[in-house]
Amino acid sequence: MTAMAAELQNRKNADQTPVVEYRSIRKLYGEFVAIGSVSARVNKGEVVCLIGPSGSGKSTLLRTTNALEEIQGGDILIDGKPLPPKKADIRKVRQQMGMVFQNFELFPHKTVLENITVGPLTVLKVSEQEARKRAVALLEKVGLSDKADKYPANLSGGQQQRVAIARALAMQPDVMLFDEPTSALDPETIGEVLNVMKRLAEEGMTMIVVTHEMTFARRVADWVIVFDRGSIVEQGPPAQIFDNPQADRTRDFLSHLGWDG
Amino acid sequence: MNLDWSVVWQYSGALGQGVAITLGLTFCTMLIAIPGGIVLALMRLSSNRLVSGASACFVEFFRNIPLILLVYWTFYVMPVFTDLSLSPFATGLLALSLNVSAYNSETFRAGINSIRKGQTEAALALGMSQTEAMLKIVLPQAARRVLPVLASTWVSLFKDTSLVSVIAVGDLAHTALEIRAQTFRVLEMLTAMAVIYWLLGYPQAKLVDRIYKKWGVKE
Repeated sequence: MTAMAAELQNRKNADQTPVVEYRSIRKLYGEFVAIGSVSARVNKGEVVCLIGPSGSGKSTLLRTTNALEEIQGGDILIDGKPLPPKKADIRKVRQQMGMVFQNFELFPHKTVLENITVGPLTVLKVSEQEARKRAVALLEKVGLSDKADKYPANLSGGQQQRVAIARALAMQPDVMLFDEPTSALDPETIGEVLNVMKRLAEEGMTMIVVTHEMTFARRVADWVIVFDRGSIVEQGPPAQIFDNPQADRTRDFLSHLGWDG
Repeated sequence: MNLDWSVVWQYSGALGQGVAITLGLTFCTMLIAIPGGIVLALMRLSSNRLVSGASACFVEFFRNIPLILLVYWTFYVMPVFTDLSLSPFATGLLALSLNVSAYNSETFRAGINSIRKGQTEAALALGMSQTEAMLKIVLPQAARRVLPVLASTWVSLFKDTSLVSVIAVGDLAHTALEIRAQTFRVLEMLTAMAVIYWLLGYPQAKLVDRIYKKWGVKE
């Protein structure tokens, strides 16, 4: 059986059009090749984790998905359609993708509630009442109902990141992009953010997660992609990547992290 | 020496009017120069070279000629070239607005540039346009950050309005100098003028200090 055939058999909704498909993506910064030629797919309802050393290009790949980074070659297909060239159309695509940043990037001049309502109000033009209703429900979901009127500066890192997740979910996206969501957090608040993400995964949200949290990737991911120096070293189900890695560089990377299964 | 301070009380009505005009001129100038500065800063940051170049020329021109020359120019030269004849107050207001808009533009540009790129990205990721991201997310934060600088500009402006006295606007400096010329009470009027400017300027400067403490960047 070819690798492709095995992938089709083993992956969630592999028979459907992928939600996100990367076809021979190239990303250059001047002369520097940030992403060589990368192809991968993300199916509906899957949690795909991108792992690998810092500076290997995994965050860059994630940021090409909603066109925060331009690509110099290849195609990105969203629901089977290439990312549109026009800015106005890219905005439509971005509305379907929630993004969570390493440094939270909450809006410091807005309250927690306003952070969550500003997207739906500005972009989706929903009513004030509807936006508020959504925000209140989402705050409950991430366990921060009592913080609605606080400003981000008054929250811990973990709380801020949970608000950032709620802000992204308020747009009712089809896909959630997580760019090292726990890398800027104190160890004791990492768990609360991962728990929210885990619950989201259980609800069937399609998620692409750049992470250094190997335990999370092992337990929650449906598919793991290992990056090194701008290209994919290996991809497969977590059982393969973590218990029986095929590539030497995967083994090296995991042993550097002290991963022992 | 024979000092007669009664001249100050005698002309207190006129001096009061001068104070009102000075304050009014300061206020009106800022009312124009803040939106003016924002527009110039946004133009300067535009990706369109023509737009950003036009803003850069405007700012560098009006920032780098002496204000008093600008005041004279708008009063004597502009009417000849443009057929536009304004009252002294409006002329003074125009000269000050051109100068302060140029300064404010640099202030706002620095403020906008000081907001992390991630803030714009977070707004764009929500599906906002560049314009929405600028107006809803970046500009409100930048405005807060530059508030102390704007307050300093306000205090400088308050004192600089005295320069428009050369075109007979009727502000505090002009009024005091007129009274001096009429009464020959040079020492008394100049001292009174200094005291009045100081009494008005000092609380403003103190207020600026407090604004700095409260709003200054703490990161």
